[in-house]
Amino acid sequence: MTRATSTKILVESSDVLPLIDVEIAFRVGSLQDPIGKEGLAHLTSQLMRRGPHGVSADAFEDQLANLGARLTVDTAMRSTRIRATTLRRNLEPLLELVADLVWRPALRALDFAKLKRHAQASLLARLDDDQTLGAIQLREKLFAGHPYGRSASGSADSLRRISLQDAKRFYARYLEKEPFIVGLSGDISDSDARSLVHDHFPRRTRKMNGKRDVPATHIRRGRHVVIVDKPKRTQTQLYISTLGARTHDRNLFPLIVSNTAFGGTFTGPLMQEVRAVRGWSYGAYSRLMHSDQRDAWYMWSAPSAEYSADCAALELELLERWVDKGVANASLKFAQHYLINSHCFDRDTPSKRLESRLDIELLGVPRRYVERHDELVAQVTRKQANDATRARISPKDLVMVVVATAKDVEKAFEKLPGVKSVEVVPYRRP
Amino acid sequence: MASPQSLTERLNRGVTKRNARWSFVNAQPFGAALELRRFRLGNGLTVATLVDQAAPTVSYHTWFRVGSRHERPGKTGLAHLFEHLMFNETKSRGRGEFDRLMERAGAEVNAATWTDWTYYYENAPKNTLPLLIELEADRMSNLVLREPQVRSEKEVVANERKLRVEDDIEGRALEQLYATAFRRHPYRWPTIGWMKDIRGFTVDDCRRFYRTHYAPNNAIVIIAGDFNERQALSLIQARYGHLSSARQIDTKPRPKEPAQRSERVLRIAAPTPTDKVLIGYHAPPFSDPHTPALTVVNEVLLGGRSSRLYRLFCLDEELALSVRGAIAPFVDPGLFEIWISLREGKSQKDAVALLDREVARLAADGPTDIELAKAINQIELSFLHSMETAGGKAEQVGFYETVVDDGGTVFDRLDAYRRVTRAQVKRAAAKYLRRSRRTRVEISETAA
Repeated sequence: MTRATSTKILVESSDVLPLIDVEIAFRVGSLQDPIGKEGLAHLTSQLMRRGPHGVSADAFEDQLANLGARLTVDTAMRSTRIRATTLRRNLEPLLELVADLVWRPALRALDFAKLKRHAQASLLARLDDDQTLGAIQLREKLFAGHPYGRSASGSADSLRRISLQDAKRFYARYLEKEPFIVGLSGDISDSDARSLVHDHFPRRTRKMNGKRDVPATHIRRGRHVVIVDKPKRTQTQLYISTLGARTHDRNLFPLIVSNTAFGGTFTGPLMQEVRAVRGWSYGAYSRLMHSDQRDAWYMWSAPSAEYSADCAALELELLERWVDKGVANASLKFAQHYLINSHCFDRDTPSKRLESRLDIELLGVPRRYVERHDELVAQVTRKQANDATRARISPKDLVMVVVATAKDVEKAFEKLPGVKSVEVVPYRRP
Repeated sequence: MASPQSLTERLNRGVTKRNARWSFVNAQPFGAALELRRFRLGNGLTVATLVDQAAPTVSYHTWFRVGSRHERPGKTGLAHLFEHLMFNETKSRGRGEFDRLMERAGAEVNAATWTDWTYYYENAPKNTLPLLIELEADRMSNLVLREPQVRSEKEVVANERKLRVEDDIEGRALEQLYATAFRRHPYRWPTIGWMKDIRGFTVDDCRRFYRTHYAPNNAIVIIAGDFNERQALSLIQARYGHLSSARQIDTKPRPKEPAQRSERVLRIAAPTPTDKVLIGYHAPPFSDPHTPALTVVNEVLLGGRSSRLYRLFCLDEELALSVRGAIAPFVDPGLFEIWISLREGKSQKDAVALLDREVARLAADGPTDIELAKAINQIELSFLHSMETAGGKAEQVGFYETVVDDGGTVFDRLDAYRRVTRAQVKRAAAKYLRRSRRTRVEISETAA
């Protein structure tokens, strides 16, 4: 599809503090990474972050700091967001800097070479963080071969293959040509914000690419264990996962409520059985993720190595019971109260309110999910919640990832009910 | 809002018990638009109110002046264990009821413990304030401490220690840094406690600790957000007014740490692909008049991408992936910590030499005018950010009440940062960042 469009502006005003957040959001993310060049979207946006034409990277940082501003660029699967925060008195010069960055990024060879080395070093540093190691391995195995399984930061190999030309082409194709959204939140009126944005981001005809289709995700049949082998672990990171939901699923809200009743609160059965009753882990929770295609549903806990497999067995039992028997009426009502009453914390600052609106525009989150959230939660019946759980969560088809010293846990995990395979992968890949 | 004097007069009408009678302490402006008011009940409970109708939420904080500095060797980690135990049953509420009621109301509930304090908080929809007051008052005096709860929470804390310290490189290094830099002061032991001590706590230890430290005259309640002040004070009077003060609050000074006269170095082996260095210079307490200048030193050297050390270590020399610094905000002198995460194959020796060179340069020449302005702008941004929500404001007030004894001075601190001069920064760098005052922890896969 090709059509003319202009910059969309979203404003959330609040004069509580003399601060302003600026966000430039693109509908482009790591899903656009070519196969074999994973990490390209991330590298490109970080290269933009090094500053506009005519200003060295150091001078650009100095200018930001002089304004009392912070600037970050985040690349997710489906979006790239440039976020800046500044003191109210410095908004105009900040907008000028950010606009320059968007319209005329320098994309310099010297910065690119440094950035690539920095990205490689970051991948290495990630090995220190067991929870992140587990989370990355989980997505890789759960979505084997699917774009959802690829890491936005890429791998050592894929980063090596990316050239400056790749980054420039990516910028030209996706970031320069695609429409973006400008959001302002904080100490500014709606009319002032619009006028400033029009000054710095003038209307311009842009091409908008059609909807990018992502192939459906497929469930991996059977229960599979992956042990990320790291020496000297006294404690383990345990993830148990299967496919979750699509954003546009009709039964998304019933599933959200059901998952909240199971593992979304401190008083739900998952946390109670694992932590309160047995003291096995500092925490235990379940998370439901949703996207264009079915994303992940997972349980997380961090039990000691000595009872990691026992903890996994307990969680499997709780999962089966949840899917099989469903949630009781009292638990359902409790979860509904919790979700409705705590919803005020999704909108208690102007920047949070802006994020919700950006999710609608950027990620295709239906507007009613935000505007009629409480109503949609309250309408869920017990039958809907339990039917949705049975329809979407499959306890037979699981990927279990445990970050541990393999020799301490491997045998016990092999014995878990229904396990079809156990794979041990080194935490440092060759 | 009614004047605080007339408010306390009205609330005290007909109240004969001394513990339940309010007195007004003071009112201070809190930023440009808000006012912080402090009241005290006869039993010593201080209550600070900050009405702010920016969002339909309320934040209720209870800070106790007890942290790991109030423990003794062999019983380390008790203050932190309490942070867990306080969510268990009370004489009037069964096990898990506290959490159930809070979650049903949509409240975010949590707690934190450090060296000088422990606090409990709820961020909740504004109409839940009566429930928050009722439940917090209840657990301040009615906690039930029995063997099963203590046993289960000890296991949770042991697991937390494994998660945050034993299997976490930075956690382990920090613990060792303080254990090496301090020889007499209680800051030498970790807030989470040594594993042997955690395993050894008895129910009696817990009961004794609760009686000693959890009393209204050792606590301050902060309410921030959208609430009716009169109603809140009236409810607090009803729920807390019958509580008795503790006879003796532990306010005795801790042993003074002898001056460190030479650098101490410790090497740790850990499964990590890259080397790290953690350095701690002895620093003044948070309330010391030199601390704002030292905070600017930190900002000039390590505050973000335009800082001297980030630029040198991470961009120009590509020695490190990240560098960062922080000054421990403690009641007594703590440490100015610097963490350097090196790139693969880069040497700790080179990193320390580069750090020394830059510290010497700052101590000799001070920052430029631009660097000073930049640093103060960045500090102001962080400061304002921390005040964005009702919870953020309550936390700042609680922290200042506990560490500086006056929650009304939060914004004075911002003024103090703005007044820092180049000469003060130079002096602070020269005085505090001396090699002989520091301890260094070097982490590598095979510690030499």
